Amino acid sequence: MSQMTDMRKTEEEWLRTERLPHVWCPGCGIGIVLNAFLRAVIRRNIPKEKMVVVSGIGCTGRTAGYVNVDSFHTTHGRAIPFAVGVKFARPDLNVVVFSGDGDLFAIGGNHFVNAARRNHDLLIIAVNNFTYGMTGGQHGPTTPTGAYTTTTPYGNPDRPFNIPHLAISLGAPYVARWTTYHVNQLQNSIYKALNMKGFRVIEIISQCPTVYGRRNSMRSPMSMMEYFQKNSVINNKASYEEMELTYKGKIVVGEFRNVGGIPSYEERYEEIIRRAQE
Amino acid sequence: MSQNKKFKRKATVKVLEERCKGCWYCVNYCPTKVLQVSEKMNSKGYHPPVFKENIDENVVCIGCHLCELYCPDFAIVVEELE
Amino acid sequence: MTEKHLKEGYYFWSGDVAAAEGAIAAGCRFYAGYPITPSSEVAETMALRLPQVGGKFIEMEDEIGSIAAIIGASWTGERSMTATSGPGISLMNENIGLAVMTEVPLVIVNAMRGAPSTGLPTLIGQGDLMQAKYGSHGSYEIITLYPNNIQEAFDLMFDAFNLAERYRVPVMYLLDGLLAHMYEKVYVPPREEWEKKIIRRKRAREGQLPYQPDEDMVPPMPLIGEGYNIHATGLTHDERGYPDLTPQAQEELVRRLNEKILKHERDIWKVEEYLTEDADIIVVSFGGESRAVKAGVNLARKEGIKAGMLRLITIWPFPWEYITKYSADYIVAELNYGQMYHLVREYSDNDVYQLNKMGGEIHTPEDVLKRIREVSS
Ligand SMILES: Cc1ncc(C[n+]2csc(CCOP(=O)(O)OP(=O)(O)O)c2C)c(N)n1
Ligand code: SF4
Ligand code: SF4
Ligand code: SF4
Ligand SMILES: [Mg+2]
Repeated sequence: MSQMTDMRKTEEEWLRTERLPHVWCPGCGIGIVLNAFLRAVIRRNIPKEKMVVVSGIGCTGRTAGYVNVDSFHTTHGRAIPFAVGVKFARPDLNVVVFSGDGDLFAIGGNHFVNAARRNHDLLIIAVNNFTYGMTGGQHGPTTPTGAYTTTTPYGNPDRPFNIPHLAISLGAPYVARWTTYHVNQLQNSIYKALNMKGFRVIEIISQCPTVYGRRNSMRSPMSMMEYFQKNSVINNKASYEEMELTYKGKIVVGEFRNVGGIPSYEERYEEIIRRAQE
Repeated sequence: MSQNKKFKRKATVKVLEERCKGCWYCVNYCPTKVLQVSEKMNSKGYHPPVFKENIDENVVCIGCHLCELYCPDFAIVVEELE
Repeated sequence: MTEKHLKEGYYFWSGDVAAAEGAIAAGCRFYAGYPITPSSEVAETMALRLPQVGGKFIEMEDEIGSIAAIIGASWTGERSMTATSGPGISLMNENIGLAVMTEVPLVIVNAMRGAPSTGLPTLIGQGDLMQAKYGSHGSYEIITLYPNNIQEAFDLMFDAFNLAERYRVPVMYLLDGLLAHMYEKVYVPPREEWEKKIIRRKRAREGQLPYQPDEDMVPPMPLIGEGYNIHATGLTHDERGYPDLTPQAQEELVRRLNEKILKHERDIWKVEEYLTEDADIIVVSFGGESRAVKAGVNLARKEGIKAGMLRLITIWPFPWEYITKYSADYIVAELNYGQMYHLVREYSDNDVYQLNKMGGEIHTPEDVLKRIREVSS
């Protein structure tokens, strides 16, 4: 059997298949991200008992319920500090936070900022669908200015986060952005990040045709994908301004930061224990 | 008829019909257009894709796995031919 | 590197330090917190002492993060704790609900200060008793303990961790502005002796589902990293831990979460009965306030009034049998507008009186005596 066919078989073991079909809508991008994630993990040969997935609340937050490893569906915004507890207590585990834009950057923003600053050894898979999908499509911290949502009926007056810029400014050693159109690049990016240490952030621009697309003239799953395909530009050296996302504008994707050698919080604490026991 | 003749059959596609939600990414992204929207409906009311190789010998699956990578529902299994 | 454990002997500690040392002795190896008066010395002691015994201390960005982190750590098997005061508990409440729903053992110290809001940061209050049990949304039971001296602040930590582990439930460990900062002598027994008191988490039987309860209604807790493929969610769930959003699943789960505590309440209860046997009037109190109450009861006895004190060490589940068993009248002395008063009234067939102060200081023994005189005349 070929490697790819093998991979697909193994992927089934990493899924709680008894719970499929999952809750996500037809064409929702979250499943594509999960698919890429599982493949990267399988390629890395990470034993299942060494992998922990933590999610917050939201459509993306449901991910924890489908991965057949130790997996936690926590409270809204609190996936990162929960993951901090797991990782700090058991530094030998691979701890991944898989959650939505609202969860990670609005209600959970303070945790994101501080966990990045402390450089906890966590991989953050941030699914940005420009909206609060689960609650019916309100605007959130990543909704582009001008976009229509249930709480911005006249267009969004608010300004979105520039997530890669934010993460880089906090010293995150690995920062990338892809869209769900970039299935291979995304998988490779996760594959790479899994082998690194520290606070690694991968933002994935993902389609929510049901509650975001339909209010912004991208009603069908394919029309959102076409938007990603047509408007994406790969530029690893993008400036912060270029990383900014605008309504129906260009989506600059790529691997924006990849540096090694920054000690993680967990590594620094080993030194604390050594000093305390001197 | 078939420019596809220049490709070699590399794989066969199994659709886990009950998981499919009919988004058509697989149909759209298949480079050789070997997947097609079927008439059939699953129990949730979605039309899963059908693998045309079974019904049309002029189309071939080149085993690129794109359909599998784009399927958000884990509904596709591409099995390579030995 | 060698671990540095407490040696047998006498120590002069504040309540905060004693609670922290008690926690470490009781096996706590993970602490996450955010400083707040009058609990900050718990954090400071943990920062100093935990790495000495191979444990982990982290100062988080807020109390919400702190409790989330100890829930995560508890899933790895570490005995985990945080400490705060009322404002911090208010922030933690959503995740206290998560710990209740997903059945995670935790110890949460609340050094109560004058409240509401920022209130009296450095001074005693007892206004968080209802919050301790009813702070998070939904109908649930947790365990709440409350010492009244510094030796007990140390000793009771063993109960706190053992009960948390035994029932897979958060334990609220109350201190107050008085106990937190008050110094007393504490005897620490030899390590071999205290380690015998530690009750370890029970392990699952082969094939037992993560939320499949034993006879005692408590499911053994699987740990992260052991290949269980645990799934835990705050959603209503079945025995596998999978969401089951039906009235039937809700009924079964929420009933069990309550009953696993209530069916064992007699094993959990701890009280001090002081001169209650023949008492006509019993003053119910707890924590720092009970120190004055005992002195007041002694004054009343000198005057020939048959007064006694019932000190609640377990606040929740409420030790109601200690109210129904006496036919005395009650005074409930507490530093709030009246909280446990309502519980005592619920269970007493006789008169129940109040003695309240809104916080900032405890009553004087004379205040207590005066109230005893008033109600017994
Ligand atoms: C404390 C709290 N506030 C609000 C909610 C309601 N809520 C649930 S999910 C959600 C937004 C989720 O958005 P996002 O994280 O972007 O996830 P998505 O659904 O878009 O994947 C909100 C506001 C909640 N569950 N908890
Ligand atoms: S509402 Fe949007 S984000 Fe949520 S499952 Fe549906 S498509 Fe996905
Ligand atoms: S593997 Fe490639 S060629 Fe074959 S059906 Fe899928 S997308 Fe088409
Ligand atoms: S991509 Fe998957 S879910 Fe979408 S139509 Fe094809 S098989 Fe069905
Ligand atoms: Mg979202």
